[in-house]
Amino acid sequence: MDGADDDARRSRFEAVAAEVVEPVRRFLARRTDPDTADDVLADTLLVVWRRLDDVPVGDEALPWTYAVARNALANAERGARRQRRLAHRITVTDPPSELAPAEAEADDRVAAALERLRPDEAELLRLWAWEQLGPTEIATVLGLTPNAVSIRLHRARGRFKEVFEN
Amino acid sequence: MTDRQGFDEDPQLRALLGQSDPARSLTPADPQGLARLLEDTMATQTSSDTRTDLPQQSTDLRRRGPLAWLVAAAAVATIAGGGYAVVSSMQDDPTVQQAGPSTAPDPEPVVVTLQAPTTLGAKCAVPTPAMLAGAEVAFAGTVTAIDGDTVTLTPSETYAGESADEIEVVGLRPDLRSLGGQPDFQVGGTYLVSATGGQVSACGFSGEASPELQSLYDLAFR
Repeated sequence: MDGADDDARRSRFEAVAAEVVEPVRRFLARRTDPDTADDVLADTLLVVWRRLDDVPVGDEALPWTYAVARNALANAERGARRQRRLAHRITVTDPPSELAPAEAEADDRVAAALERLRPDEAELLRLWAWEQLGPTEIATVLGLTPNAVSIRLHRARGRFKEVFEN
Repeated sequence: MTDRQGFDEDPQLRALLGQSDPARSLTPADPQGLARLLEDTMATQTSSDTRTDLPQQSTDLRRRGPLAWLVAAAAVATIAGGGYAVVSSMQDDPTVQQAGPSTAPDPEPVVVTLQAPTTLGAKCAVPTPAMLAGAEVAFAGTVTAIDGDTVTLTPSETYAGESADEIEVVGLRPDLRSLGGQPDFQVGGTYLVSATGGQVSACGFSGEASPELQSLYDLAFR
């Protein structure tokens, strides 16, 4: 690979990174602790760099990258790496919450309700409400058809409401 | 084109969830830290393999290659530290990848190369944690690429042996059928792999990361 190819590759990577880094940071912040989020962001960017030729152009690049992040997160959660990070975290004082008590309570309630759903149902709701993805994009992230996404999301919404109101 | 007809119904629920978005007060990444992260990423060697791994749009795209563990000829695998391994096999297999040294001034990624297991005529012992604990190399990893006779994994957890950035299992021959109890490597799948003497252990010591196998590894490498 000569210098010109290298530069082109680097430019493309930087362009993709500019597009996906903040959304992926938010994606990870919604699903795991800050240390794990940092690690998984790095893992995700590494896959993007290595598989740069496979990254779709345009709108599909971000859902593609979410899928990579999701897999990388699952990996990280399985590892004992995570146990060590969590153990470390406990010894560090959590910074005081800047949320008003009512807000924090509402957050807890939503989080608790999501916990009570099946993981795939909760994930559908997150992608819909937090990442604000459409059915085709969610389909890319989860490896489903858009049709299946619509059906399952509808069910998930119903389930959430059931659980939330109890 | 995304068809959102009817998809966005229930704006109230969406708003309710939106209000509790954990990332709503996340500050953007520090630009210098991010620049450094990107530089570090670009400093890693890129594989010449450009096969698709993650993600997959549907199960149809999932590669179910006719990959099988090799009934291997004895070949020497070398553990690479601070560089890349060149693996020579008795068959002088031209598909074995050779990579030159990274030009990055930063520490080079460590690639560990392992030979696929020999299984012909082997009697499989039932794996126990004690037996597994003797492995020189053991890790959990995700397959990022499959290219001919080489499977590349990114380790997520290292139980034994040096921590590697990437592990290659070489000497696989897709034309040979697998002989029972051996992992069917698929891109994106997660596997637990152990090896001794540079050769992967088969017979239930390596495989897809099922809860049972994970327990075995957890017990062996506590």
